[in-house]
Amino acid sequence: MQPRRQPQPASRPGGRRPAAQLFALLLLLDLEAVAVAVPAGAGGPEDAGLGRGLLQQAAQAALHFFNFRAGSPSALRVLASVQEGRAWVNPEKGCKVELVFSTERYNPQEGEEHLGKCSAQVFFKNQKPRPAINVTCTRLIEKKKRQQEDYLLYKQMKQLKNPLDVVSIPDSHGHIDPSLRPMWDLAFLGSSYVMWEKTTRFLRYNLAQLSSVKQWKTHEGAIDFDYTVLLHEFSTQEIIPCRIHLVWYPGKPLKVKYNCQELQTPEGSGTEEGSAVAPAQLSNF
Amino acid sequence: MRGTATPGTGPGLPAVHRTTLLICSFILATALGQMNFTGDQVLRVLARDEKQLSLLRDLEGLKPQKVDFWRGPARPSLPVDMRVPFSELKDIKAYLESHGLAYSIMIKDIQVLLDEERETMAKSRRLERSTSSFSYSSYHTLEEIYSWIDNLVTEHSDIVSKIHIGNSFENRSILVLKFSTGGSQRPAIWIDTGIHSREWITHATGIWIAKKIVNDYSKEGVLTEILNAMDIFIELVTNPDGFAFTHSMNRLWRKNKSTRPGVFCIGVDLNRNWNSGFGGNGSNNNPCSETYHGPSPQSEPEVAAIVNFITGHGNFKALISIHSYSQMLMYPYGHSLQPVANQEELYHLAKGAVKALYKVHGIEYIFGSISTTLYVASGITVDWAYDKGIKYAFSFELRDTGRYGFLLPASQIIPTAQETWLAILTIMEHTRTHPY
Repeated sequence: MQPRRQPQPASRPGGRRPAAQLFALLLLLDLEAVAVAVPAGAGGPEDAGLGRGLLQQAAQAALHFFNFRAGSPSALRVLASVQEGRAWVNPEKGCKVELVFSTERYNPQEGEEHLGKCSAQVFFKNQKPRPAINVTCTRLIEKKKRQQEDYLLYKQMKQLKNPLDVVSIPDSHGHIDPSLRPMWDLAFLGSSYVMWEKTTRFLRYNLAQLSSVKQWKTHEGAIDFDYTVLLHEFSTQEIIPCRIHLVWYPGKPLKVKYNCQELQTPEGSGTEEGSAVAPAQLSNF
Repeated sequence: MRGTATPGTGPGLPAVHRTTLLICSFILATALGQMNFTGDQVLRVLARDEKQLSLLRDLEGLKPQKVDFWRGPARPSLPVDMRVPFSELKDIKAYLESHGLAYSIMIKDIQVLLDEERETMAKSRRLERSTSSFSYSSYHTLEEIYSWIDNLVTEHSDIVSKIHIGNSFENRSILVLKFSTGGSQRPAIWIDTGIHSREWITHATGIWIAKKIVNDYSKEGVLTEILNAMDIFIELVTNPDGFAFTHSMNRLWRKNKSTRPGVFCIGVDLNRNWNSGFGGNGSNNNPCSETYHGPSPQSEPEVAAIVNFITGHGNFKALISIHSYSQMLMYPYGHSLQPVANQEELYHLAKGAVKALYKVHGIEYIFGSISTTLYVASGITVDWAYDKGIKYAFSFELRDTGRYGFLLPASQIIPTAQETWLAILTIMEHTRTHPY
């Protein structure tokens, strides 16, 4: 799935101006030694808070999208910290965020301290999920190393005895058996797609747990993985079960299908589904 | 369906529980009769039709008995589970295969499983006899925590006592630890952990902090000065029913376990049930929601108990409510974007606390008012405390920022507690030096 073309931000020469009734919220957060330093002129503590929440939201969305698009369980990243950002809010259309943030490896290796850096443009459409995202990351592991690690993971996964009795990864104590780690990484990769698709300006997701494995097999060499995860949505604090089916082979595009159950209300409950194939080659990766 | 499992009111025992029951009885048998099940397996057989089913029943009738059915042949669609002694394995498997009966090995070696189970049960039943043999880098059950509380009070009766402030919906005791070096109704600091039961890191941090207090008193200057002037109250398991449920059935349960006639879903979000901005935005009147505020303010016994206690005491000067996750330190309001009167002072105090926290392990927290940092939330603890005149009202969201979330590995308990303690100490010290 290719992200939608972004409208040019007003600050670039020759860029189109967004529609009327637009106000800019300018924030420069310089995060170094101390947790937060709000420079003078940026307004009081309130502005810093509001802006910061939006930047975190955008960074998270950008990372889910990045992870899905990379299609590699060895290349997964998590947010370290937001370094700077700007947002434009158009009450009619939505909210556009430009930001720079640092990342860490999802699966930190011994002795490795790879802080990556990403810049992203995230466009939250009013009330609609699936923000349009443009993200570029630097200082990641070299392509060759990533391919090697993917292939190693693939071999480990193929050796997993049929783990259909696997429940709850991590377990209640946050522990993941090292032999099941590749499975968890793959589950997270598939979940990234789902979480990106479901993210809105106000809804933000984290993967809480892999709750069951329906199927784990190889089909024409590729790993065919059918599982259920529990996603945690932040603003409502809800736990949302999602059934995900993915097919993965190192170097080939990731195929994902999913089906999530939504909150039970007196009116009834619904399901939400989607599917995609990640692009195989990434020009700026 | 929401959550991982339906709160267990289904008909009959699920297969897992039945198996556990059988295993338990085996353990008993082993313990009493010295029986040995080494190499024995449990096979699960799927009979396609009545003919195959009757073949299995034939096995049942064999004398001497060759198999022992855990789940007997009933209908073709239902699996049949049978324990096969090691000596009979070859014959039985040949029998199944020759008759085209599909089977899988459910338990490869019963004795191994029994040994593991016995050890686990013994471990969990081994309630520590002292707080120095208690593992601070593990998560514990409610029973273990309550036992630890009793030990702490016994070992340090000079400065700790236990107060029973009420009972939960399912009638569990609600306990508060009081740390005091004397005086009468001294200005006090309140700390609560575990108001949301799935936030296990909070109880674990609270326990570590309680132990830290008794260890450091009269040895460390800042804490000693604080305890010489003020009392500290810690409620470790603010939601005991929810916490028990996270151990027994649903690790990701958040609310309490209250039920009401005619209401389909269970539980109220205890951090939306307070009498400040009750029912407003950021809480939900749908009982099935994770942020259901309950029928009325303080309707929940877990909240009422604290309200009564703090109100009755009348001299609390600070309140710290601990949650996870997000790495944030926040002050009121949650229900409104309006800044509180003391915003400036609280902002700077939070800034200092977060700085102290960062110095321990380099973990970054963000800070600000709840509504602008986290989200708008109504009927929350700290808003109520602030409106009651408790100026230094703070809410923590501990580690991490989503990588593990609620399932924070136990290896992070002590580092989290160490850094959180420094932040809390900063707040308590400020409270002591700024009497009001």
